[in-house]
Amino acid sequence: MRIEQDVTRGAAIEISVDGIALAAFDGETIATAMLSQGMAMFRRDARGRPRGLFCNMGTCGECMVTLTAENRRVRACVTDAQNGMDIATDG
Amino acid sequence: MSKTDVLIIGGGLIGCATALHLARAGASVRLVEAGDINAGASGQNAGSLHFQMERRFLENGAALADQAARIIALNRLAIDEWRGLEVDLGVDLHVSQKGGLMVAETPEQVALLEAKSRREISGGLATQLLDGDAARALCPALGPDVLAASYLADEGHADPRALTPAFAHAAAEAGAVISTRQHVLSITRRSPGGFDVAAKKGDEMETLQADQIFVAAGAWTPAVCALANLHIPLFPVALLMNATERTGPILPQLIQHVGRRLSMKQAYAGNVIIGGGWPSRLAQRPDGGFDLNARASIIPLSRSGNLRAAIDIVPQIGALNLIRSWTGVTTISADQLPIAGAVSRVPGFYVAAGGSAFTLGPTFARLIARVMGGERVEALDVLSPDRFNHLNSFMG
Ligand SMILES: Cc1cc2nc3c(=O)[nH]c(=O)nc-3n(C[C@H](O)[C@H](O)[C@H](O)COP(=O)(O)OP(=O)(O)OC[C@H]3O[C@@H](n4cnc5c(N)ncnc54)[C@H](O)[C@@H]3O)c2cc1C
Ligand code: FES
Repeated sequence: MRIEQDVTRGAAIEISVDGIALAAFDGETIATAMLSQGMAMFRRDARGRPRGLFCNMGTCGECMVTLTAENRRVRACVTDAQNGMDIATDG
Repeated sequence: MSKTDVLIIGGGLIGCATALHLARAGASVRLVEAGDINAGASGQNAGSLHFQMERRFLENGAALADQAARIIALNRLAIDEWRGLEVDLGVDLHVSQKGGLMVAETPEQVALLEAKSRREISGGLATQLLDGDAARALCPALGPDVLAASYLADEGHADPRALTPAFAHAAAEAGAVISTRQHVLSITRRSPGGFDVAAKKGDEMETLQADQIFVAAGAWTPAVCALANLHIPLFPVALLMNATERTGPILPQLIQHVGRRLSMKQAYAGNVIIGGGWPSRLAQRPDGGFDLNARASIIPLSRSGNLRAAIDIVPQIGALNLIRSWTGVTTISADQLPIAGAVSRVPGFYVAAGGSAFTLGPTFARLIARVMGGERVEALDVLSPDRFNHLNSFMG
């Protein structure tokens, strides 16, 4: 879900999350791109239940994902999506 | 007006656990907590269950180490206490007693480990000295700089966020009456015995009458004891804690360092919890003195020093994100040993605070409850508040 009226967006880009191609726009975070397309699960807890992000502002660490190219863990809610990024969640 | 056998001031681990034991023993118990249950040090700590002698006792000479050796007897009681706790409380506290390694990186530190484990073994604690490779065989995450380690199979960790609420819940089930957001403001001795205590909740004042008072107010203990005209030499200490993101199992044991400030463990959820006594800065009151009700602030050099020590010992930590750092305030006595027992110049007045009271708190609580029930408990002699009696000789 995205607001479509009266917004100016960056260039259209594409990222891949757990092998699924997601359309996004320059200037959006990885989390925004995921949520806008219904991908709300970032991992499963110890009881196997899905967990989403929590604060969406960089403080809780609940949205960690892996940038597979560098094998680096980042917070999806404060990391900009970049064209061609390959991302893996813990889900 | 409430009238009970016992009034407990402070709803941290020590207060809540003592409430449980006293209520189970048949006493009528009221517990008053100024904030929320577990909001003090008991909910902020590292959750280490450490039974080897602490580094802080070793770095200040032989006399202190001698005294600390007398704590070993209490540590042995605490080991058994922890083994039974989850069953006793019927709650999953994420207790893990898979062993603890206290590591050394230099020959001087190895010598310290040797001296320490001699004391422990003579005190009946089964510490084992391991060379670096043997330590790495037990805990493969340890890096190449670890020269030796002392190992104690009973050590480990538990969840500080779960323990005190579990005690509070069990105490309430056993009949203790617990109130939160209620501050104790005054303590008056009655004659021939007992106390009148004034406590405030919101705008309401309540008088609480009790035969016995137990002060379990952590870093606030000196302030509460002052209400009864007593000096108790406890000083606030602000510490730093850090948590990494979750990761797969890498650290089954509790890791400590004999020569550097470091404690490290992997929590049930997979986060590595890193602390070990690095200072934070206590908040100051504008009119002088420390403000225990304001959060202590992080000292950046403490954080970098703490993380450096962690990475030196377990290099894999360097690849993890730090997701959280926090400060907590606990208290240390004038001679570093905890204070726990009866204040004999004020009959009916008891206190317990100071020291590593996550590890030892459940044991203190069990023993204090027995003392308050009239028993003599030798294990607590070394911690008696009466050793500071001289400070009260002018207190009238
Ligand atoms: C960062 C940190 C790490 C630590 N790590 C460890 C560890 O790994 N292992 C270990 O064994 N120990 C550890 N400790 C120590 C341990 O946390 C404490 O010794 C223990 O929690 C003390 O419990 P307590 O019940 O005495 O005090 P607290 O938990 O501080 O409780 C005291 C309570 O008294 C209340 N109170 C104060 N004044 C009043 C009043 N006037 N009226 C009513 N209520 C009042 C307060 O609100 C508070 O809730 C650590 C401490 C810190 C801060
Ligand atoms: S959702 Fe809290 S850090 Fe990203």
